[in-house]
Amino acid sequence: MAELHLIGQIVGASEFPDSSLFCKFGIHTGGAWKVLGGLREGQTQVDNPEIGDTAYWSHPIDIHFATKGLQGWPKIYFQVWHQDTFGRNELYGYGHCHVPTSPGMHKIDCVTWRPSGNLQEQIMQNFVGGGPQLKSADLIYSGADRFHLKTTAMGKVHMHLGVILRNFDKYGVEC
Amino acid sequence: MFPEFDDICCRYTFACGDDWTVTSGLEEGVTQTSKKSSDGRQIFVLNFPLDITFKSTNPYGWPQLVVHAYGSDVFGKEIVRGYGVTHVPITPGRHVQKLAMFVPESSSRFQKFLSWFVSRRPEYTDPTRVASGEGREVTRVRSQGYVTVTFNVVTKDMKKMGYDSTPSDVTNALPGSQTSAASPDS
Repeated sequence: MAELHLIGQIVGASEFPDSSLFCKFGIHTGGAWKVLGGLREGQTQVDNPEIGDTAYWSHPIDIHFATKGLQGWPKIYFQVWHQDTFGRNELYGYGHCHVPTSPGMHKIDCVTWRPSGNLQEQIMQNFVGGGPQLKSADLIYSGADRFHLKTTAMGKVHMHLGVILRNFDKYGVEC
Repeated sequence: MFPEFDDICCRYTFACGDDWTVTSGLEEGVTQTSKKSSDGRQIFVLNFPLDITFKSTNPYGWPQLVVHAYGSDVFGKEIVRGYGVTHVPITPGRHVQKLAMFVPESSSRFQKFLSWFVSRRPEYTDPTRVASGEGREVTRVRSQGYVTVTFNVVTKDMKKMGYDSTPSDVTNALPGSQTSAASPDS
């Protein structure tokens, strides 16, 4: 079996309306992929930065995958949440990106979006906060059923990812 | 760079997985205490050398550099000013990394005042906690500075063990698994 090591960090997030942020993330893979070591899901710390508008999470990622096929190459998906001074959490964005297929170090900025809902929901959100959320997290990384959604742009999640491949060339896969 | 503080002293530790051992170099160290430059740059120059070699059979548990900064508060007590963490880059070559430095926050306003008053801020009992992904959801932090680290990485026998850490078109005859990092930083 070919192996993939994903080593890196979710550095932080910027360009969100408020910067006291945390993030829940996970890695979705196809059926042929197995995790041999490391955490597939996690939640970062809440950072309330003193300088600038970038929240830093410095959340380490170190996962070892084994696979029998390329179908379902790993995808990282995020939910960015905002925590206010009272400790209430509000959804700020969803986003996903593919793990790069080429080995080496990669700096990745992942854009995020949020469901905006209809006019009534938007007005409600403006005054009371909250807002629509996805019922199931699958929609973050799947292309089906997206056409129902109305969304708005939110900030970016920054990552440093290192990819190490093993034995892909043995099976003739050129990465 | 720590805009709010006047003197900073850094410590570093390398955290790595079970399969990893250090073959040469120091796993831990303390820098000098540096005063902020009085010019417009407002930086602390540490220029501290790191030189270490690791050995492993498996990239899982790849070494991470944990930097923790300390400074003195108004009462002259030593206070933690930030924790920062980064993986040692996986590809050979020169890499410059800017680590965000964050401190854990008190859970309530009263505790915050009390900790200021008795000069005992919240800190991690083990600094290498920041290098693990577990149990982070319970911590609230405040990032208040940066540390710049330069890595020069050399790998050995990675290719021989079947590992590719560079894209195939630039894969060349760097003979084959050791990582070493050497760097003066500021």
